[in-house]
Amino acid sequence: MSKVYFSTWRGEQINNIGKPESEWEVSAYNLPEQYNEHSHSKAFIGWDGLALFNPDVDVVRLATEYAAQYQVYSEACGRCAPGRWGGRILYDLLDKIARGEGAISDMEHLKEVSRTMQETSKCEIGKTVPTPLLDLMNHFEAEFMACIVEQKASKHYHMEDTNYIAKITAPCMDACPAHVDIPAYIEGVRDLRFDDSLMATRQTMPLAHTCGRVCPHPCETECRRTNLDEPISIMELKRLGADYETDHGFGFFHPYEQKPSIGKKVAVIGSGPAGLTGAYYLALDGIDVDVYEELPVLGGEVAVGVPEYRMPVDKYNQDIKAVRDLGVNFITNTKVTADMMRQYENDYDAILVATGTRISKKVYCENERADIQGYWGAIDFLDKVNLEVKYGIMVPEADQKRHMLDKDYVDLTGKTVVCVGGGFTSMDVVRCSIRANAAKVVMIYRRDERTIINNTTYEEYHEAVEEGVEFIFHSAVAEMRDENNVLKSLLIDRFELVPNPDGGRPTLEKIEGASFEMACDYLIPAVSQSADLKLIPEEWEIERTSWATIKTNGKDYMTSRKGIFAAGDCEYGPMTIVNAVGQAKRAASVMSRYVVNGEITLADNEIMEDHLRKLKVYDKKEKIQGWLPGLPRQHSEVLTVEERRDNNREVKYALTQEEAMSEAQRCMRCYYIAMVAH
Amino acid sequence: MIEFTINNQPVTAKKGETILQAARKAGFYIPTMCYIEKTTPCASCRLCVVETDKTDGLILSCQTPPTQGLAVTIDSERLQTERTNIMRMYDVNHPLECGVCDKSGACDLQNKTLEFGVSTQHFSAKEQHRKIEHWGLINYDPSLCILCEKCVHVCNEIIGDDAIELQFGGYKSAVIPKNSETLDCTFCGECIAVCPVGALVSSKFQYSANAWELTQIPATCAHCSAGCSLTYEVRHTSNLLGAKQKIYRVTNNFEVATLCGAGRFGFDFDIQAAKEESVFEKAVSAFKNAKAIRFSSLITNEETLILQRLKEKLGVKLFNEEARAYQSFMDAYSSMSGKSAFSGTLDAVAQSDAIIVLGGRISTDNPAVRYAMTTAARHNGAKIIYMHPLEDVLLQNVVTQNVRYEAGSEEGVIAMLTQTLLEGCDVDNAIKAFLESLDEGYLCAESNVGNEEFAQILKSLRRAQRKTLIIGSDVLSHKRADNIARLCALIEMHTDFSLIVLPQTVNTVGVSLICDLDRDEESADVVGYNAQGDFVIGSMGECVLAMPSLNQQEGTFVSINYQLLSTNVAVAFEGYCLNDIASSLGVKALNTIDYTVQLPIQKGFKAIGFDALGNFYGGLGEDNRGYMLETMDVAVEGELEAIDDLPEFNGTVVYRCNPVNQFNAYTARTSQLEMDTSLRGSVQFATAARISDGDSVTIEGYAGARVFVLDETLKGTIALFPTYDIAFGGAHENYRFEKIKLKRMGS
Repeated sequence: MSKVYFSTWRGEQINNIGKPESEWEVSAYNLPEQYNEHSHSKAFIGWDGLALFNPDVDVVRLATEYAAQYQVYSEACGRCAPGRWGGRILYDLLDKIARGEGAISDMEHLKEVSRTMQETSKCEIGKTVPTPLLDLMNHFEAEFMACIVEQKASKHYHMEDTNYIAKITAPCMDACPAHVDIPAYIEGVRDLRFDDSLMATRQTMPLAHTCGRVCPHPCETECRRTNLDEPISIMELKRLGADYETDHGFGFFHPYEQKPSIGKKVAVIGSGPAGLTGAYYLALDGIDVDVYEELPVLGGEVAVGVPEYRMPVDKYNQDIKAVRDLGVNFITNTKVTADMMRQYENDYDAILVATGTRISKKVYCENERADIQGYWGAIDFLDKVNLEVKYGIMVPEADQKRHMLDKDYVDLTGKTVVCVGGGFTSMDVVRCSIRANAAKVVMIYRRDERTIINNTTYEEYHEAVEEGVEFIFHSAVAEMRDENNVLKSLLIDRFELVPNPDGGRPTLEKIEGASFEMACDYLIPAVSQSADLKLIPEEWEIERTSWATIKTNGKDYMTSRKGIFAAGDCEYGPMTIVNAVGQAKRAASVMSRYVVNGEITLADNEIMEDHLRKLKVYDKKEKIQGWLPGLPRQHSEVLTVEERRDNNREVKYALTQEEAMSEAQRCMRCYYIAMVAH
Repeated sequence: MIEFTINNQPVTAKKGETILQAARKAGFYIPTMCYIEKTTPCASCRLCVVETDKTDGLILSCQTPPTQGLAVTIDSERLQTERTNIMRMYDVNHPLECGVCDKSGACDLQNKTLEFGVSTQHFSAKEQHRKIEHWGLINYDPSLCILCEKCVHVCNEIIGDDAIELQFGGYKSAVIPKNSETLDCTFCGECIAVCPVGALVSSKFQYSANAWELTQIPATCAHCSAGCSLTYEVRHTSNLLGAKQKIYRVTNNFEVATLCGAGRFGFDFDIQAAKEESVFEKAVSAFKNAKAIRFSSLITNEETLILQRLKEKLGVKLFNEEARAYQSFMDAYSSMSGKSAFSGTLDAVAQSDAIIVLGGRISTDNPAVRYAMTTAARHNGAKIIYMHPLEDVLLQNVVTQNVRYEAGSEEGVIAMLTQTLLEGCDVDNAIKAFLESLDEGYLCAESNVGNEEFAQILKSLRRAQRKTLIIGSDVLSHKRADNIARLCALIEMHTDFSLIVLPQTVNTVGVSLICDLDRDEESADVVGYNAQGDFVIGSMGECVLAMPSLNQQEGTFVSINYQLLSTNVAVAFEGYCLNDIASSLGVKALNTIDYTVQLPIQKGFKAIGFDALGNFYGGLGEDNRGYMLETMDVAVEGELEAIDDLPEFNGTVVYRCNPVNQFNAYTARTSQLEMDTSLRGSVQFATAARISDGDSVTIEGYAGARVFVLDETLKGTIALFPTYDIAFGGAHENYRFEKIKLKRMGS
């Protein structure tokens, strides 16, 4: 809900012209009324209409500036005849009118060019730029005609009282927490310019191999192609650029040339996706970066959490190499303590905490004791599996004993494993257990099948079932039963979903008498993880969230202590890789300004990014024109159960070139341009 | 097959075909400005928009495959209006310099402006000043450029140079060199060919002739064995009576075929001569007294047949070591495979999704093969394994695995490759025994190719469906070539690989089919035809009697595809030709091309006369050039030999290999191609040979001095040694790696 003077946004027709402010009808959309804490917006104009927030807006100049922005941003478009010439003609004609030299025929030409652009442009930017311009010309024709008839400049034409801030976006880019320029990297695939594709990805996302494989791809949920048939296979198309770089032994295609060192130093704590991303963009900006990692290997949870069959380590190492290529200094086997943090605060110009969430939460059942043998936290379990599978680091003797292993790797032959969870981590646990040759693997989940698919992906769930994981839905562990501190069995409660008579969310209620006992050797809690923040000196009094992570405002990622930033799971709580990347990218951007001038600021494009996310770019009700429906989405081939169940071969092949091209051709290049006048 | 309709007419499309492709096949016309069949759609012009019954807006026919039952309308008032508006935009501020523009008369913008009746500038935009760029052989005028992106697409997707890109900037967009201040590429000139307007032009041709004054002579390129189609465009040089004809430029059918820089810019190798009877008589008697005729493969099939007839008539020997090596290789191949020719073609290479290249410097030996590999890499995501002692930086963006073996170890490498590829194949016991008997430890150690590299090859091939093995010319002159040929045959027979073998010179394949060649050991009384001899005739080197160059002759070649291709006279030659000599010696024919129909049928030729041969591509890209030779059955009687000890190449070793666009004495004497004759080596080579950058050196056994250039892109201890400028052009007789004695002359 926004207070507007006039709005045609998404087809609404709000016209408060001439009405007293108290009677103004409000807009149904989250329009950016307030540009930032210092400035109100005067107008918002974009692909689907426009809104004026006050009566004093010079609409002719607004139209001209929007057309001008299209010229500036035609970097992304400008690749088709109607967009390239049409955009220029629009601007030249509007500017001619605005400066008081227009002719009546110019209005006709504007409409004619607009129509051809709308009908034939290559991407949505060319198709949609005329939309708000036509709105302005229709609704404020008098103001345009006044400029023409009286041959005078528009009211603010010669004034520099307004900032016009534009931002290019797309539904997928908006949905992606890292705001990856998805249409550009898909265009790189379509044009067979894989280096360009990768460079487009790396503008905001350095982990192309990784996020081409293990991203839950929120972009695909907001892919505009869904309105026509099925979403594009966005995530996997990222791999083509990354594979091109790797397969041909090129150096690294960075998005832009690294700046020479500016003599500033930043410490990054943790080398997971957030740490790597922060380090990457800080280093690109010419900042010297030291990354401290507790484990002997780099990569954080993607290295020791995500199994090899989903994320081959040699591919992840390529992503890490790209970061290292910028001169980032990695220090492994170093658990950072509060004392060290105190020291770093002096030694470095800023610190980015990116330590993730590496403490497995309890399942909260009776007799849940960490000292019972067979009780094994998911994070530690996956650490042991992955360190051996990926790096050949064997399980130390003490841990073998602790976890009843008779080999120096995780071999579960003959064992029954019960995992409690429902998210990606629990999926990794059960599928790794299958690969460790467990006799029986059971997943206990409180909710239903649909929810587990929503939490993860259909493929992930389906593949786990195929591999032999037994899922027990609507269930929970009530009690651990041990003999001499060795786990023997679990008491499992069953639940049912009881509709709420008041119409609210249905509630889970225990089915009395349905509980049963299940013999098992291991209980692996993978319910959720929490952050280990012992490294934060207490006297810093850094604010925490109610879920015990580091608190920031979610925009600049600075903690309550100046110069200390936090990004990724330790800030947000356990979330996706791409979320960590997006946060760290933003944090790096803020930090690279902070280390120079000591100020915490957001760049205009970041402010706009946040406004647009609030407004939401994707409109699932929009009817698509200009594209033929019914072209099926391509699915990459998956190894058969027999081929994959007992080994760590990557489960999914990449899209074949033919499939990838077919997918890339389906992309509608839904670029939009939005502009705020403030 | 997808069935749909265009303007209510039923049309079918194959899977993967677009509406535009299906429409063109069915004979419908949809206008385009940026479409080029051999690349992915540029999709920039938007003229090809169509209407359908399943969409509200207009859709783009060049990138949309039809769906079953779709009803497409390709012309309507609405479409005409939008297309006309697009043409009006294209014409905004397009410089009115058609009077002097190179493209005038053959310009897509002119044609479409006429087609849509754009007679005035309907829209206006601010003029911008644009600077003309001079990039060596190529000039670029951004004000003429319509930014169709065809040049960018072919450069990246077909050629592989990836040397130009679009600088985005809306109205200010331009084509710019990629990652470089100026154009740094192999100068194939394909960007000029595909340019629909006069934006990219040949700097030498610019302002020298109008398109409509030029006579187009369809021909076949003489520079390498790929047999690329080209058109010599000739005109009189002045308006004076009897003015001579001259080749002004070479063009190609860029929609379907591709041409390298040597073909495009290296065309002026014709020579002039008058008839001098006394010299002719000397030549005739030299032939009469000759014990042997030595000739190069820069020769047509017809002249080759004349030589064969002379051999039969006069009892002379025929020497052509390059062709003899190829013949011997193919005989050994046939003795295993039972057929006269291998299964692969350039098209098969382009369609492959996995390619193994062994034993050749593809990018400079056979650019057409490189282009086919680029096409496969880009369009099919082909895995390309390049096995050679020297990596090739020009192939970096297509090769997915470099396998560097020791020079000379080809037999061992291919034996290991055979073992790798045949694993799990059903083969007879003899082969099984042969493969089991291989001493892997020895072969891997001596060739320096590890087991893990073969394992990696297998991994690359895992999902491949269309595989090609390319054998380069290194192995043809290898002393174990015959056994290598047999191993190649095994791979072709027992796996789904197709095979293609690449001799270097234009008609080596033809010569190998037509002649009974003798081992070259004679040193006296040899007539040389474009080759060393006691009496030399020809069009290159020091010749007593001048003969027409290959752009001054009509006749045919056989390409590496086993396709017979014709070529024609671009510039007249007024001297004698081989047929005149042969006729004097009793091997009589009125014209050389009378022999075309007589080419040996038992070798796969057809009894088709020269004038009945086509030399053009059809409207949909059908190859109507000459004919494909028949593959003949051959008796299977070959047996594998045990792998010989692998030779070692220590000391100062060079690899005979020419720079880009240089092939032979013909290309060496053209005016536009860069003449780089330097010996190029790595730091390692320089250190070992005790020479440094800029030194002048001589190489024992080769005339003249070479300047040594330190090349940072090279690795290893082997230097690249060009031979194209040596009298009769490339020395293709001996194994291409050579241990040499190098003498430093100064710097």
